[in-house]
Amino acid sequence: MNDAAIQVDHLTKRYSAGFRRPPVQALTDISLDVKKNEIFGLLGPNGAGKTTLIKILLGSLLPTSGAASINGFGGADWRSRLSAGYLPENHRFPPYLTGRQMLFCFGGMAGLSSTVIRGKADALFDLVGLHQWQNTKIRKYSKGMMQRLGLAQALLNDPQLIFLDEPTDGVDPVGRHEIRTILLNLKKEGKTIFLNSHLLAEVEAVCDRVAILNKGRLVKVGPVSGLLDVKPAYRLETAEMPPVVGEETTTAFPTAKIEGTVITVTLETPGQVNEIIDLLRRRGVDLVSVAPVKVSLEESFLELIQGDGSHE
Amino acid sequence: MNKFAAILYDSFLEIKDRKIFYFYWLVAGVLIIVFGLLPSLNINGRDILEGNLLSPEVLNGFIARFFDGFLGFVIFLLVFGSAGLAPSFLSKGRVELVLSKPIDRWRLLSMKFLAVYLVKAAVLAVMATAIWLTLSLRLGMFNWGFFPGLLFACLQLLVVYAIVFFFGVLTNSAASAIMGYFVIRIGTDLLASRKVVYPLLGEKSLWKTILDGVYHVSPKIGEMSENIGPIMTGKGMADFYPVWSTVLIAVVVFLVTLLYFNRKDY
Repeated sequence: MNDAAIQVDHLTKRYSAGFRRPPVQALTDISLDVKKNEIFGLLGPNGAGKTTLIKILLGSLLPTSGAASINGFGGADWRSRLSAGYLPENHRFPPYLTGRQMLFCFGGMAGLSSTVIRGKADALFDLVGLHQWQNTKIRKYSKGMMQRLGLAQALLNDPQLIFLDEPTDGVDPVGRHEIRTILLNLKKEGKTIFLNSHLLAEVEAVCDRVAILNKGRLVKVGPVSGLLDVKPAYRLETAEMPPVVGEETTTAFPTAKIEGTVITVTLETPGQVNEIIDLLRRRGVDLVSVAPVKVSLEESFLELIQGDGSHE
Repeated sequence: MNKFAAILYDSFLEIKDRKIFYFYWLVAGVLIIVFGLLPSLNINGRDILEGNLLSPEVLNGFIARFFDGFLGFVIFLLVFGSAGLAPSFLSKGRVELVLSKPIDRWRLLSMKFLAVYLVKAAVLAVMATAIWLTLSLRLGMFNWGFFPGLLFACLQLLVVYAIVFFFGVLTNSAASAIMGYFVIRIGTDLLASRKVVYPLLGEKSLWKTILDGVYHVSPKIGEMSENIGPIMTGKGMADFYPVWSTVLIAVVVFLVTLLYFNRKDY
């Protein structure tokens, strides 16, 4: 049995750039799978092709070659969207509707009866914290409120697969935390979430796996922990650092950087840290602390993007 | 709420939100008040019509001529009011959300077209009927030919909206949709009187053939609207050709709109 909610197979997308201009290559030969009941993050700098990929999956864009499918149905097939919810980036919800009317209009388009929508609307407005604003026209909403409404709209049809394109854009820190909690609760309910975000900390906090796109190419895909799989680094703080010991340390370990009494070093294996400790003890230098340096997803991301030839 | 009902509800709320929607009712309200203030034609218990002071034929002709102009004017207003609806539906930031719903593209666009048309046709019908009723009550005479005439005006609105809708989907701009429609409208009116220039073309029959050809494949909206008056006075349609050929062209234009929408990237 296929446990992939999303399958992308050698997907390429070229946009026409207009008369006598070369076409824009938005995506090049992308292949990836998103498993059911996982939170999958899509990362990449602006213009990497993240939104293009989501739009092809949801049928807004047609692929130039290759295929993208949801639950076995291609993006152009309306059945692929039966159990999907979507919060687009830079959305412009109809300003003439109230929040509640919007749920009725878009829920109706998703095939829900007004009874079902009525039954779910209150709970969703409570969930996203918009209960007292539900009968206010959207044109009076702030950016953060519209994001919350968009999230409510995306969850209205109880989708199994939820696409969120920059869901916390314009949302305050408290709101971001609330949205993260909602995402984790949705995962507990067995939902699959496809999260497109440029906020690396957000992706690191909620995603099981991530893919990194750069200039339309897939740079890396795997678990978040896999992306952080870089050489071990340590921070050693000493009571004092005689210059001669510092020189000996940097000669023995060329990656070592010394700032005052602190040594930061990247090693080939974690065991090498003992060799530095031995060297310092032999020279009579007292150690105050030894701690591994945690590499953030941001550092790893930047390393991957800068090391990727397609970035040039 | 089924999918069409949702799109109809959304279209109604969008039309209602536009200022021109209130202008329709202002126009209708003013006319109702003006006709409501007309002096009664039933003087001292003696019907003015019985006395042959004003024959029913003359009054019928007046009513038909009035509604001929009025319906044309309202259709003109509705073109302005509806030109922005397709571009707004397909605007960036909204179209992605609409397309993410489980509806085929061709069905989605057809439903939007029909929804907007139904709301507009309802506005046209309610306004015109209210004015007709006021006028009829004051004159003490009911011209039942009004209803077939109204039905015909609704058909004309359908044809006009198909063309406006085509330009709206193609250009994603209300202004371009209006301009596109008026270029077609003025162009076809000129083509309708192409025989005036035939003597100037001399013996060059190729030009005549080209003008004739363009005329036959163009929507003949002006000529079509000339039928409203005769239908209201019970004379029937003056000329069937502009009507059926224009309806046929509108169907083709609508199918081209669907084909274009089906292949377009948003």
